[in-house]
Amino acid sequence: MCLGIPGRIVSLSDGGGLLMGMVDFGGVRREVCFAYLDGQVEVGDYAVVHVGFAISRVDEEEARRTYEALKEMSELDELDWMREVAETGLGPLKERPA
Amino acid sequence: MKYLDEYRDPQLARTLVARIKEESSRPWVMMEVCGGQTHTIVRQGIGEALSGSVEMIHGPGCPVCVTPLEQIDRALHLASRPEVIFTSFGDMLRVPGSECDLQQIRARGGEVRVVYSPLDALELARNNPDREVVFFAVGFETTAPANAMAVWRARELGVENFSVLVSHVTVPPAMVAILESPDNRVQAFLAAGHVCTVMGWTEYLPLAERYRVPIVVTGFEPLDILEGILMAVRQLESGRYEVENQYVRSVTRQGNLPAQDLVSRVFHLVDRQWRGIGMIPSSGLGLREPFAAHDAERKFALEGITADEPSVCRAGDVLRGRIKPNECGAFGKACTPERPLGAPMVSSEGACAAYYNFKRFPAPDPRAADVAAARAL
Repeated sequence: MCLGIPGRIVSLSDGGGLLMGMVDFGGVRREVCFAYLDGQVEVGDYAVVHVGFAISRVDEEEARRTYEALKEMSELDELDWMREVAETGLGPLKERPA
Repeated sequence: MKYLDEYRDPQLARTLVARIKEESSRPWVMMEVCGGQTHTIVRQGIGEALSGSVEMIHGPGCPVCVTPLEQIDRALHLASRPEVIFTSFGDMLRVPGSECDLQQIRARGGEVRVVYSPLDALELARNNPDREVVFFAVGFETTAPANAMAVWRARELGVENFSVLVSHVTVPPAMVAILESPDNRVQAFLAAGHVCTVMGWTEYLPLAERYRVPIVVTGFEPLDILEGILMAVRQLESGRYEVENQYVRSVTRQGNLPAQDLVSRVFHLVDRQWRGIGMIPSSGLGLREPFAAHDAERKFALEGITADEPSVCRAGDVLRGRIKPNECGAFGKACTPERPLGAPMVSSEGACAAYYNFKRFPAPDPRAADVAAARAL
């Protein structure tokens, strides 16, 4: 679970004092926290992202190679978690506990 | 050597294998620390390719696998409480507790949610102020910065209904525990690449020096691993014991300093229980006092929940490298990825699941003979 997934930075913005950004992971887009790479990245750069946090900047070739390697290894579980969150949402739960 | 053809650069893979074999004057024993590396080594048949020159022992570097049964049972207890929304990374849902797993709690009506980022759990808490949101904060140093930020933000924003059940572990103390065990056979380590992306590699310097053990920071792709092994063999052959960095594409000497800084503000070192291994002093992270309000163990008084590990599962011997997964009596029979007894059979990075998925021990399917024959080519 420590592998992280490389993606391309689509946009960067302020999220209440935290640098946030949209990252494209082979077609799946997701908001990511860039607090740990603040001042080191620009839109169009590639970064390795682990559980919603960018931890290192990589070049495009390395990003592509790593993404392919993870795909071959079926080590893209984090993308499944992203999809599950996108499907269920993070809003208020409808039902109150019994 | 069919598997070498599947490498990104089969010629380079062959060259690396040949060099490792040529340069090893005797069989060496190494441990890869990271579960991602274990996955690659077993999948690519690297152990077989290097047979007679280098034996790879699979280390305890799978966070899911080393989370103690006690913490799983505490998670199950919390997830069963009606006021709680229990949140976790997806790979914890099928880890067996004493009586069931999180997925079963969910099926029984417990509010168990998979999140991608710990900040998702915080968002859920802000949107559900009348519920208690608990996040299962597991992982090694790679994951700690993310979980630290969620706790930091919760305090900053005053999100009182957000807490974390912490089961964080750190790599170097586990390496020390392995080196100090009386039956240790490990002569060199491949350190975990992404752990070092965050932490850098200077903390391994005193370890290499004290135990006279080569440590090579290594990536998780097949060629990375072969290169890391060759670097370690060269150190062993020349009597050196240094920290070297194979994974320069991602790892710098100092690591990610802002990440390290926030981790040390939120967490401090604590003794931690490792599943199958036992207590390792100062091997885990716990919340510092200013964040006590967000500590699920204190908030829900979980100290009373303790657990003994089942005796039939030999996960501990596997995690310590004493036996290979297929040497466990339950392997492939009572214990399969569909019905796991222990965590190393759950996670794709666990040694047991990797053996089951890629090695087919003991041959349950007729194709196994063909696979073995292909490997021998």
